[in-house]
Amino acid sequence: MPVTFTFGEFLGARSVIGSTLAELGEEHDNLWVITPDIGATLVEFRDRFPERFLDVGLAEQASVGIASGLAYDGNIPVVSGMLPFLSMRALEQIRTDVCYPNLPVKIIGTHGGLVGNGGSTHYAVEDLALMCALTNMTVTSIGDPLMVGEIIRQSMSMPGPIYIRLAVGKKDMVLYEPGQHEVRIGKGIVARDGSDVTIFTHGTTVAQALQAADELAEDGRSVRVVDMFTLKPIDEELIVRCAEETDGRFVVLEDHLAYGGLASRIADVAADRGIRLTAFERLGIPQVYAGFGEDEQLRDKYGYGLSATVAALRRAVAA
Amino acid sequence: MSRSTLPTAEEPHTVAELEDLAFELRSKLLELCGTYEGAVHIGGDLSAADIFTALFHYGLHVDPTDLRNPARDRFVLSKGHAAVCMYITMAMRGFFSYEGIVETYGQLDSAYGMHPCKVQLPGVEASTGSLGHGLPIAVGMALSARGRGESHRVVTLLGDGETGEGSVWEAAMAARSNKLGNLVAFVDRNRQLMTSFAEERVVFEPYPDKWAAFGWNVVHIDGHDMAQLVEAIDALPPTDSDRPTVVVCETVKGKGVDFMEHNLAWHAGSLGAADLERAMAALLASREKESV
Repeated sequence: MPVTFTFGEFLGARSVIGSTLAELGEEHDNLWVITPDIGATLVEFRDRFPERFLDVGLAEQASVGIASGLAYDGNIPVVSGMLPFLSMRALEQIRTDVCYPNLPVKIIGTHGGLVGNGGSTHYAVEDLALMCALTNMTVTSIGDPLMVGEIIRQSMSMPGPIYIRLAVGKKDMVLYEPGQHEVRIGKGIVARDGSDVTIFTHGTTVAQALQAADELAEDGRSVRVVDMFTLKPIDEELIVRCAEETDGRFVVLEDHLAYGGLASRIADVAADRGIRLTAFERLGIPQVYAGFGEDEQLRDKYGYGLSATVAALRRAVAA
Repeated sequence: MSRSTLPTAEEPHTVAELEDLAFELRSKLLELCGTYEGAVHIGGDLSAADIFTALFHYGLHVDPTDLRNPARDRFVLSKGHAAVCMYITMAMRGFFSYEGIVETYGQLDSAYGMHPCKVQLPGVEASTGSLGHGLPIAVGMALSARGRGESHRVVTLLGDGETGEGSVWEAAMAARSNKLGNLVAFVDRNRQLMTSFAEERVVFEPYPDKWAAFGWNVVHIDGHDMAQLVEAIDALPPTDSDRPTVVVCETVKGKGVDFMEHNLAWHAGSLGAADLERAMAALLASREKESV
């Protein structure tokens, strides 16, 4: 039942996870889905393949350890849950039981960034830094709900682990027309071309970057928006090309700690490749434990909302 | 569901033969501990030596010449610091060369090190060493066997100290919830942690009751009595039954070498040439005492 959506519509990435896994369960009889009590999105898979669905209850460490055992035995396990808990409570299992033996376990979850209004216990804000540190791990952060399905599908043939980060996944903006861009793990997407400055981002802030680019267009400035949905391995060639083509003017926007996530990955590439940057602006979460509020309010409060993004782009262009 | 068609050890070993093999294993452990300059986890190796012997020479259906045979029983060493005991037992069973272990242990690029690595040493079922990880992995393997309708068993060996880790009990609940009668956990209840005796700072008792409370089938034996080990293995429920089994094995850390027994100093260590001679003499004396 292929469903089509068009740009600007809202769609639950969670429902895409559920329907994609149910389809893949048909194609791969060794696909398992494991969840620590976050099964609402997985009902379709659970109902079709109850023998390969496992809800372990509140037990994140066991969920990943069990996935490891399944993968050692030749299965493809998907662990789906809330990322603040999977990425921290089960961090050692992810590192030692999955990444060390390089097993094809997929970690898919929600609550990446200051989303969901759950308070700092329920915001995954360090997760990308933690996951990028792990040898063998591929790290992604997806904003476009339709892309989620495509990434899960591509990950089926990967020999090693992958981390797939979503925001809340209840209501995400469709960013791309189906087939508009080539979507390939490890390759950034130029969501909009431009020549004055590049803004790199991932996840739900891609939509905000596109809006900011619109505002700069009113100033007569041309902003390139790059959806760097794969943080590891990072698309170095695209970074090099953007530096050349937008005069070394970079802004990085992310719903993650400003240090340790995509901005740090790009800064590493710039340092290692000897890229001379004219401007480098980081927009992300400062070193605070954020309180409550709606997503946009929190982004504004912590300095990476739309107006801050527009201001950073203007500074970068003027530098 | 019938048991795996893979044979156990080539000859069904008698208890006396298994005791001889356990003695040989302990001698080889001491030899390694005497020749390797770094620390060997000799205390917990010696406490587990009889369990390893009973499993690899009697209980487990494995084939050293066909490491990926799908019908093989899976063995996950949850107490990864007993890696040496596993390497040597497996060498005696025909998996590896004992000389290869002794000559390269702990050296650069050796497959044999302090904690087992599946990537570097095929034949090992899982990379372990961080405690509390083996049981969840074994649960995953048991689920996999169930899912495929396979009749092999998944066996894991834990230390009792390690069962302080919360992840062990998460997995214990998952095993019971999923009715994994094809899963067996042996616990080497040697009653010592690295720096304290069990019950001294951490209260484990009532220990078998804890597993029973989690819905496991509990067997409680003397882990140095080969006849009891064989009997426990023979009495394991069929793999299509609906409860996981724990075999709580009462053991002594450093078993067989009097100056290491019940001695916190021998959690891990190295024997010099003189101490090696002393340890071998103690092992021999212990054996003679027990055979009287």
